[in-house]
Amino acid sequence: MTPPPVRAAGFGWTYAGRSRPALHDLHFTLDPGQLLLVVGPSGCGKSTLARALAGIVPHALPGTWTGVLLVGDRDVAGTPPGVLGQEVGLVFQDPETQLVMPHVADEVAFGLENRGWDRERMLAAVPVALAEVGLGGFEARPTGALSGGEQQRLALADILAPLPHLLVLDEPTANLDPPGTAAVLQRLADLTARRDRSIVVIEHRRDALLPLADRVLLLDGEGGQVAFGSPAEVATRHPGALAGGRTWPAVAPPAPGAPVAVEVDAVSAAYPPVAAGPARAAVDGVSFVVRAGERVALVGPNGSGKSTLLQVVAGLRRPTAGTVRLVDPQGHGDDPARLPSAALPGRLALVFQDPEVGFVARRVLDEAGGTAAAPILERFGLAALADEDPFRLSTGEQRRLSLASTALQRPSLLLLDEPTFGLDERGRDAVAALLDEGRHAGQAQLMATHDPRLLPGCDRVVALREGRVIFDGPAARFLGSPPYDPPDPWRLGGVVPRVAVGSAA
Amino acid sequence: MSFLPAPLLVRSSAPLARVTGVTRLAAGVLWLVAAAAVPDARGELVLLVTAVIVLVAWSGIPLRPLPRRMWPVALGALGLGLTAALGNAADRDLALPTLLALGPLRLTPPGLEAGLALALRVLVIGLTSLLVFAPADLTRLADALVQQLHLPDRLAYGSVAAMGLAPRTAADWQATGSARRLRGLAPRTPAGRLAAVPGRLLVVLVMAFRRGERLALAMDARGFDSGLPRSRYRPVRAGPLDAVVLAVAVAAVVLVVAVERTG
Repeated sequence: MTPPPVRAAGFGWTYAGRSRPALHDLHFTLDPGQLLLVVGPSGCGKSTLARALAGIVPHALPGTWTGVLLVGDRDVAGTPPGVLGQEVGLVFQDPETQLVMPHVADEVAFGLENRGWDRERMLAAVPVALAEVGLGGFEARPTGALSGGEQQRLALADILAPLPHLLVLDEPTANLDPPGTAAVLQRLADLTARRDRSIVVIEHRRDALLPLADRVLLLDGEGGQVAFGSPAEVATRHPGALAGGRTWPAVAPPAPGAPVAVEVDAVSAAYPPVAAGPARAAVDGVSFVVRAGERVALVGPNGSGKSTLLQVVAGLRRPTAGTVRLVDPQGHGDDPARLPSAALPGRLALVFQDPEVGFVARRVLDEAGGTAAAPILERFGLAALADEDPFRLSTGEQRRLSLASTALQRPSLLLLDEPTFGLDERGRDAVAALLDEGRHAGQAQLMATHDPRLLPGCDRVVALREGRVIFDGPAARFLGSPPYDPPDPWRLGGVVPRVAVGSAA
Repeated sequence: MSFLPAPLLVRSSAPLARVTGVTRLAAGVLWLVAAAAVPDARGELVLLVTAVIVLVAWSGIPLRPLPRRMWPVALGALGLGLTAALGNAADRDLALPTLLALGPLRLTPPGLEAGLALALRVLVIGLTSLLVFAPADLTRLADALVQQLHLPDRLAYGSVAAMGLAPRTAADWQATGSARRLRGLAPRTPAGRLAAVPGRLLVVLVMAFRRGERLALAMDARGFDSGLPRSRYRPVRAGPLDAVVLAVAVAAVVLVVAVERTG
């Protein structure tokens, strides 16, 4: 009889140099062929569990191990990672830091070479694994030219190729656009339906994964186990814990006739050529306005020009045609690219997807604007961290700090690039509350986002495809009939994968 | 905007693209030894012209993008050549004829010869590097280094993986500049710009380091460097063409050095 793919008995782990454990007292057993969904707030040790199942913890990272964790019949603590690697495949969150080789076929073969497979077997296995994730025929493509969703499916092919018994996926869709998310989740649903492998998934899109899950492991904020059981059991005992992500509450429309804050008129911009980068579309004749007190969402698949457009609006990149007019309260318009740096902070701010690139100070308090910012840190829940180095904060804390540093300067236009990337529910709520405050004060907000759940909280949606505006209107109308093909991934809850008939039992 | 150039699209059927990276490396080292060994500008010129013939006829490297790629090498050659020509000890020998006077500086025939030789040598080095590294992608070069020279896998494929992160790091550098501009902190003077570099560099390095760490974990998780012997998906085999390229390189170098040393 096959042993259970995962058994934890009092398992815990404390990273070297930390006083509190990342995980403690886990007790659960997963049965063969089951899918386990791991749920818990940011920083609860979910990723640590994924690392432990693959043997990275304890073999590649220092720390203290307690209890027992078995993968199949192997004790993780006592098994060299090379041996454990035969049993377990791990997919990480970020596609770009897990793909090793410059071309697709070489990338899949990399893990097989590490296991010493002979060449004939590799030549046969690579196309099979690629076909399994819907990338058949992609063998010779450069990995850098794939979309984010394709890259994550490639990462899945990487771990499927060596035929492990256990697949572990650590937030595989966190960095993807809606079509990419839908494609990855659909592949996961197909794998689950076959029941020939056990799967552990850490995923913040619970709504999408619950229909696939056989078991749920619920963790608290301190790395302890709250519950383990079927989704129905866990939902009964801990109502709310498995609820789908909250959508952003609808906002009252801004006062009619609010003045224009920024006017984008027939803007085109070309991407610079980048080595081995994805084929990049340009921004092509885009026009729209954002008014004071208005929140506009900029949506579109990867590569549709959202980030380029944000950079043009911020004056960081000169358009090849068209104009951007940043209008001050007196009605005077300026080209943001021509304004001196010193004049910009009160006019516009950009919250980067990677908040770290914007950090200029070595202390949280200084980063937020000095002693005058102390009350702001309080409101952003960062007061206790005032003396920390901004680089040592978690992603959620960094994003809040990044927003906090714009609060003192009160820009009339706030640009945001994926403001909720990598945030859990709590983090998303905190960001939403802060943005609402700014909006009420008459701030114009333009945010690029992949998350349909944010759209109800926006006054308008501007949708891009291949650099052109294909929709500009109320969020409700966008969500009702998304102007993309297929439209479903762009709807609220639209990324739920189709479960194969007869497998959900 | 980006300071990472797109890779050159090399015609893969070209002879130089069909030999292994180690063969090209060996031929290139021979060429550089010859460049160091020939005593004068004429010898360097012969080496350079030969390398240009190889470039045009057998490398498969497209010529059109080269001026934009190679101008730093040309500029370096010019600068070093001028320095050597005008700073030559012979230039102070008043017995020698003056070819050119630039204020206190004068150019004499031995100075000109030395400057020319150095400039040509720099061009030979630049062109040789191009011929060695441009015809194969990074993967093939790593394969050859590991399989033929038995370089550690960790070093070779670790470098391949790290190169994949380079474009991101370049983008981070630009983003740090953008962020400073928006925060009202853009330096207005060249000195200020220079002073901002350490801070920006710190951010970029921290981010690159984190990314590298995540990549290393991902590689470990896939069983890289776990002590098991690795097998080879892309075997590298030297063939008759490799022998021919090496033989031609040896013959050319011996010939040039012999003629130049005696002549």
